[in-house]
Amino acid sequence: MRSRRVQALVVLLLFGVVKLPIEQVVSAKMKEARMLQGSLDLGLWENLGQMGFAASLGGLRALVAGVTYMQAYVAFEDIEWAKVDSLFQLTSRLQPNDVSYWDEAAWHMAYNAASNYLHSDRVEPIMRGKLYHSHIERGIRILEDGLRYNPDNVRLLSRLGDIYSKRKLDPVKAGETYEKVSTFEGLERYGRFAAYEYLKTTDRELWKRSYELLMASYKRDGKKFPSVIDGIKELEKRLGIPFMQWIPEKGSGRGVVAPVQPMDLPATR
Amino acid sequence: METELKKIGGGFSVSRVWTMAAATVTQLVRMRILVFLVVLSAIVVAAGFMFPVFSAEQQLKMLKYVSFGALQFFSLVLAIVATALLLPKDIEDRTLYTILSKPVPRVEYLLGKFFGVMLLIGGGLLLMDVLLCAVLHLRQSLVLAQELAFLKQGHATAEELAVEAARIEAQGVGWSLQIGVLAVFLKAGVVTALALMISCFASSTLFTVITTFCVCIIGQGQELIREFFFHRTFDAAGEKIASGLFAVLVPDLRLFDVIDQVVAGDEVAGGAALFMTGAGLLYMAGYLVVAHLLFVEKEL
Repeated sequence: MRSRRVQALVVLLLFGVVKLPIEQVVSAKMKEARMLQGSLDLGLWENLGQMGFAASLGGLRALVAGVTYMQAYVAFEDIEWAKVDSLFQLTSRLQPNDVSYWDEAAWHMAYNAASNYLHSDRVEPIMRGKLYHSHIERGIRILEDGLRYNPDNVRLLSRLGDIYSKRKLDPVKAGETYEKVSTFEGLERYGRFAAYEYLKTTDRELWKRSYELLMASYKRDGKKFPSVIDGIKELEKRLGIPFMQWIPEKGSGRGVVAPVQPMDLPATR
Repeated sequence: METELKKIGGGFSVSRVWTMAAATVTQLVRMRILVFLVVLSAIVVAAGFMFPVFSAEQQLKMLKYVSFGALQFFSLVLAIVATALLLPKDIEDRTLYTILSKPVPRVEYLLGKFFGVMLLIGGGLLLMDVLLCAVLHLRQSLVLAQELAFLKQGHATAEELAVEAARIEAQGVGWSLQIGVLAVFLKAGVVTALALMISCFASSTLFTVITTFCVCIIGQGQELIREFFFHRTFDAAGEKIASGLFAVLVPDLRLFDVIDQVVAGDEVAGGAALFMTGAGLLYMAGYLVVAHLLFVEKEL
């Protein structure tokens, strides 16, 4: 009886020693395939409380993130922006690879919180603009953090471009971000968005880039977007494009059709 | 073991193991464990219609969070408690003596108990999976239709509609969801084998339940312990021995935590799923061998 117990203990220890390198390999392979997240940040203990932390350690991390997300939603309904921010921070740290949390947190800060402060009667007029801008900046920082965990994520990049374009009013950064998104397969349309942003700047080099992007879209897209044609027409003037290279006017199926270089447009329209 | 098999006049019999497994399922069903399954299934259905104020994508995610939480809870509680109850119950009812007095090797009895619990957990998970898929599909169709109608009212472009539709569809029923269920099943299998091993030397049911529960909690942090053991320079020999022992004795249960990725709507790589399955089977085999060694000469 005793010998069997000793045998069992020896087998258990041997099995344990054999499994260690296997566990290392399997864990690394699964992380490589993005099936496993990194270990839980022990610093979350204070924020999650004992129950939440234990549940997260117990394999219910996604469920705990769901609960903190719900708490954030309640805080949003109560218009408690600081709480929304901290709870979303907690949620996204629990599930850093779930981009929807980074996206939504940034949207809350850069759109909802910023606009709310700008029009709030409860805030001194002198502070409104400051809070508006600081929350837009917060939204940008959230997305940058999210991109550190999820490099080159299209959803986060396009949201960042939107915030630079519509909230921060920084067409250079918005254009650069949209251009980065346009390099992904099937998202060439973002090149058009980048071009619209570059068009807003006063930099001649960026106008040239805008012209290139719009012409690429004009040649590529079956449907000729009015905004693309307007943009190209505007840039033809700004950049002094030779008349021979102009594209036809919007909706000019008839009338004066400018001669088109073979390199730019199809021979017939 | 060979001598034992010769003594009872027969080799290993799959049909005997199957009979034992079927009897174990019946035994557990009689313990009204299925009531527990009904309650958790009701939670899955209810989760499908909760959180209506969230965005469409988040509504579906929350449904998956709650459902997978219920699946994990069901499988782990059953794996620990049902397994811990089996041996003491058989001894108490004296069924164990009746079985072992027949030409049934102890290994078959042990495997029968293990597969019985796994059958029950597998069946329960399958039922809840079917329910989850049905509720998720229904909910996804509803929110997709609502969202697209709303966007069309706001004159959204075809591109915007396509992006939103793709985002919602990524949260629907797919193969990655099934891999998530497989991960829950494998984790339950490892915990069942572990509980069975512990119950082979435990003095009471409570001891098995508490010890297995503790091992499960430590198992979730085993990766941290392993890293500590492999990469840390130790000041005290005691630290190295303690961390080494934990790393050796406890399984890494985090290997089965793919649910986070599944709920996020990410595709799960087939190769990585095979690694996970392999690890699960290895743990189960290892703990069952030790359980057999402990049980084969256990004084009953």
